[in-house]
Amino acid sequence: MSPLPANRRAANRLAAGGRIDRSRTLAFSFDGRRLDGHPGDTLASALLANGVKLVGRSFKYHRPRGIVSAGPEEPNALVELRGGARREPNSRATVTELFDGLEATSQNRWPSLALDLLSVNGLLAPFLGAGFYYKTFMWPAALWEKLYEPAIRRAAGLGRAAEAADPDSYEKVNAFCDLLVIGSGPAGLMAARTAARAGARVILAEEDFLPGGRLNAEALEVDGAPGHLFAARTLAELAGLPNVRLMTRTTVFGVYDGGTYGAVEKVSDHLPEPGPFQPRQRLWRIVARRAILAAGATERPIVFGGNDRPGVMAAGAVQAYANRFGVAAARQVAVFANNDGAWRATFEARTAGLGVAAIIDVRSEVPPALLARAQALGIRAIPGGVVTATRGRTLAGIEITVGGRREQIAVDGLAVSGGWSPNLHLTCHHGGRPVWDPRLAAFVPGSTPPGLEAAGAAAGRLTLGAALRDGLEAGARAVADIGLIVHPIEPPKAEDEPAGIAAFWHVAASRGPAFVDQQNDVTAKDIALAHKEGFRSVEHLKRYTTLGMATDQGKTSNVTGLAIMAELTGAGIEATGTTIFRPPYTPVALGVFAGHHRGREFRPVRLTPTHGWAERQGAVFIETGPWLRAQYFPRPGETDWLETVNREVKAVRASVGMIDVSTFGKIDLQGPDAGAFLDRVYINTFSTLPVGKARYGVMLREDGLVMDDGTTARLGESHYVMTTTTANAAKVFQHLEFCLQVLWPELDVQMASVSEQWAQIALAGPKAREVLARIVDAGTDVSDAALPFMGVLGTTVLGGVPARLFRVSFSGELGYEIAVPARQGERLAEALMAAGAPFGITPYGIEALGVMRIEKGHVSGNELSGQTTAADLGLGRMASTRKDHIGRVMAARPGLADPARPSLVGLKPVDGAARLRAGAHLLPPGVPATTANDEGYITSVAYSPHLGHWIGLGLLARGPQRLGERVRAYDPVRGGDLEVEVCAPCFLDPKGERLRG
Amino acid sequence: MRIPCPFCGSRDAHEFSYLGDATPRRPDPAAPGAEAAFFDYVYLRDNPAGAFEEWWYHAAGCRQWLKVARDTRTHAITGAVLARDVAAPAAPTPAGGETAR
Amino acid sequence: MAEMSSPAHPLSHTRPIPAGHHGRPGTAGVVARWREDLAIATLAARHGGEAALAAAMDAAFGLALPAGPKAAGANGVSALGLAPRRWLVLASQRPALAAELAGLGGGAVTEQSDGYAVLDLAGPEVRAVLAKLVAVDLDPAVFSTGDVVASSLAHIGAVLWQTGEEPTYRLLVGTSFAAAFSHTLLAAAAEYGLDLADAGRGPEAGRGTGRG
Repeated sequence: MSPLPANRRAANRLAAGGRIDRSRTLAFSFDGRRLDGHPGDTLASALLANGVKLVGRSFKYHRPRGIVSAGPEEPNALVELRGGARREPNSRATVTELFDGLEATSQNRWPSLALDLLSVNGLLAPFLGAGFYYKTFMWPAALWEKLYEPAIRRAAGLGRAAEAADPDSYEKVNAFCDLLVIGSGPAGLMAARTAARAGARVILAEEDFLPGGRLNAEALEVDGAPGHLFAARTLAELAGLPNVRLMTRTTVFGVYDGGTYGAVEKVSDHLPEPGPFQPRQRLWRIVARRAILAAGATERPIVFGGNDRPGVMAAGAVQAYANRFGVAAARQVAVFANNDGAWRATFEARTAGLGVAAIIDVRSEVPPALLARAQALGIRAIPGGVVTATRGRTLAGIEITVGGRREQIAVDGLAVSGGWSPNLHLTCHHGGRPVWDPRLAAFVPGSTPPGLEAAGAAAGRLTLGAALRDGLEAGARAVADIGLIVHPIEPPKAEDEPAGIAAFWHVAASRGPAFVDQQNDVTAKDIALAHKEGFRSVEHLKRYTTLGMATDQGKTSNVTGLAIMAELTGAGIEATGTTIFRPPYTPVALGVFAGHHRGREFRPVRLTPTHGWAERQGAVFIETGPWLRAQYFPRPGETDWLETVNREVKAVRASVGMIDVSTFGKIDLQGPDAGAFLDRVYINTFSTLPVGKARYGVMLREDGLVMDDGTTARLGESHYVMTTTTANAAKVFQHLEFCLQVLWPELDVQMASVSEQWAQIALAGPKAREVLARIVDAGTDVSDAALPFMGVLGTTVLGGVPARLFRVSFSGELGYEIAVPARQGERLAEALMAAGAPFGITPYGIEALGVMRIEKGHVSGNELSGQTTAADLGLGRMASTRKDHIGRVMAARPGLADPARPSLVGLKPVDGAARLRAGAHLLPPGVPATTANDEGYITSVAYSPHLGHWIGLGLLARGPQRLGERVRAYDPVRGGDLEVEVCAPCFLDPKGERLRG
Repeated sequence: MRIPCPFCGSRDAHEFSYLGDATPRRPDPAAPGAEAAFFDYVYLRDNPAGAFEEWWYHAAGCRQWLKVARDTRTHAITGAVLARDVAAPAAPTPAGGETAR
Repeated sequence: MAEMSSPAHPLSHTRPIPAGHHGRPGTAGVVARWREDLAIATLAARHGGEAALAAAMDAAFGLALPAGPKAAGANGVSALGLAPRRWLVLASQRPALAAELAGLGGGAVTEQSDGYAVLDLAGPEVRAVLAKLVAVDLDPAVFSTGDVVASSLAHIGAVLWQTGEEPTYRLLVGTSFAAAFSHTLLAAAAEYGLDLADAGRGPEAGRGTGRG
């Protein structure tokens, strides 16, 4: 899009003024219509400058809606931004920074914004009131899924999410400071300046792209100069200090425990797309010793019939559009208010060039100075009046009622002010309850999270002079709290403008639907209905009517809604109470919480020391926890993974194979009490293990169930190395530390994880010894006599590489595990391949490993399920009865010692061609498949190339006494139902002759 | 939440893993009634509203077990000490006593 | 490469990013170099053996074992406090470090030279990049030369040691995480530009086979 000539001015752009750069023009589009604005505009200000008043349709009734605010509280002006994969629905036009080429689309309308066929919902309003979901769609239930829900989803809704994956990146950053100041209006600037001058590390976070808060939106003076110049001067000072971090476009959205704050920085949302190597947004986790909430206040509406007509907006917004953006939100406005501030807003709008038809104030008594000023500006003042109706597709006129007399006034804008609510949201994040201040007709912060204090308008100091002083004092208190010396600072001079208010919420005698919550289409009538049906609590009111439950969390509607409820009950606002806010303060994109952790980067991947070698061998990899492990090694011509795995298993059993087992947890234990310690954590004894030997061990949890298993070797008199399963490595380490530090601190044992230090390769098969002999250095004897079954040997291999040899076996074959320093892992793998070439050495993956351990009946993760005892797994006899160990006492409970418990068995299909499935339930033959008849389940299955049929391990009630019996394996999920024979859980070489060979 | 690790300093709670109540002591497994005592030790926990002492493990830091004093109502943490420094000087010795040095 | 919004994406995630310049062109904000010439061991005092161990370390290396999360170094040997009575000892040009330490008696020594992937980090933006990775305050007011932190960097357990004022850092992660960490580092550093150097095979790279 090419920019328009710079001298052309949009229809409602004022001739001068505003914090915008009129020398540059930005082209953008709304519903395909090409428009222009300036740097410094929001989408909303640019739309208003171009006279666009209708920007969306409402959620439930599809009523035409316009822009009502100039800030983050906007309930109506939600649009889809951008297109394609970057399309983002529900974007608030009032906080969307304009950029060249921005594309915005109205949402929730069909077929077009001007002609929305679904606005017939408005005619159905009598049926769509409070609780309509509960009442209308209760019965019959079957219609819910097929009819009601799809229809509702089509009719209701708030835009369309992008269908493609998000092309942008997000990241997370940590920050620490003495003082976090949230908001850069008068109070925030003073707090930050005070703390910064005292030398505190300060972070000033501002969600707007232009810091300064209401100083930019109002025409008040500070130290005799326009407020926005004071803001600019103060910001320049802060920007020059090394101890201050100024963050714009950064919303602090949540307060967490221990002085931790969540903030999102919109790094690139004001650009067509992020620059090279830039994220779209950053999530900041800020840890602050103190925080000051200086988030300002939000203007409330007054509720009356037809108050949602485009053209009706907040008085402070009209003021902000005039002062900050140089935009006349309307050509001729009326003002409807209950407070002095709205009068000042009106005067400023008039001064900026807007036409003002009248100020209607619900109060009969208005300060004479305001009346005089109005008169001087030629503005008609109507005290004691209310607005009772509106007309026009976009606003064309209002009806007012004064003293029982009705009058029509032609206007295209109505500026409404029901007073200001402090932005105390963050003070509620630890459960703090706001307190009603009748003087302000507003809730002010009650208890605040530890370390956080509200200041300025957020604390109910709604006038400029008070906000500046309050910010200064809060900043001084914060730095004094953390032990810094505060140099006295004179507060800047500013007046405390008139801010009188008379609480007023709702024009009951008005015509047309009167909206309280415009985003969720909740009307004053809905609240009355809820009251009539017996709802009294504000929490119930909220959930029944959905008041305040939209994405704006009721920023403009909550207080008014509960005030109307309080009027109905007569209980008063204080007794009625308020709902509280929780994070996030404004919606946060989910992507920013993930940061870089998405897709393949979801979590860090751990690679084995032989990963590169396995890649070169053509391995197929699989994720096992954080690890990538070789699953199998297909060869050319193999078309099916099972074909490959069968070849690998047969090769190991016939000759020799190798697999990386470095992923096992490896824990080094040293110290005079190491043996005694192992005796206490394993069910079997290790203090009697000879040096140079390894032993299989089982450890229990204190509740008597099995925690983990593995072999532990004694390397020296007071030196052991333990292996754990891959999955439980961290858990076991933590458990052992608990035992050493909490249970038995008197034991002198030093532990270190050596999982990363050692590459470990298992070599298995009848030719394993011959291969091993070729890689050990001269002088190392690996004969059966020198390195017997379960023997351990420290030596060197490959010409001086330190190595540990363990003669252990998971496969049931003659086997060794060879450990070398991790960086030598690939070298070892290559050397074994070369040494084994004459024997056709075969790399195998964890599938083949699994097949062989099932053939041998070794338990693994599926059996170590956290629900099995050592006895269940056939390991009960390992337990030493001469010592205590973790879990011993509880394992003896009748429930765990019951011989009828499901226990480990082998299973084979009666039909030799049938395939077993893990997870199938075991039932006696011929009984109904009910829970009562359930006798266990199949834990692991494999195709045994050795036997030529499928085999399984399972847990079966009284299993070991039922060898030879036939039971039913019932698998309703996958439709399996077959007969299996119970057998001993070892299908190969039960006497272990092969592994001792 | 921030936990003041006595060794590492103040750290975010995500570096730690939680175990629970630090009050129960592992019973003497050789004492009469050990089974009932262990049942209490393993399963029965108070859930007080207010001051609470609990075990946390600084998994991502010094790998020390800490006894942390936390108010369960506010999450305010008033202190943390190394378990080793506060564990009972004479914890029950397991039966069998194969602990000769 | 300049168009990529996810800088690590087209690189294989099963190997460390290659040596060279990555991310924003121009002068790199972060300069990183793998180190493979260091001997590393964990050292833990036996019960009641702290004083004897400290004396032995002083005698052997002129090194005072630090009491907290700090580094102390002398004669090319550095001890980093990881936990009470537990240190990580690093040395260059001393392939037999673990054996030397074990010879002192009084402590449990565990060889770890292959257990860690080590990166030396420098550059004008290194602190800003580390702020994206580690939830520990690295501001010079509270963390300075000689300070050590064991923490988790983007879910990867790590030891970070500030080695110089500029600042410079030495970072250790588990060997199996080397590739993953290099991608994480690039993702964080891409906006400033990252120069990564291999360990090299110069005389300093005394990557021997005869350690301990």
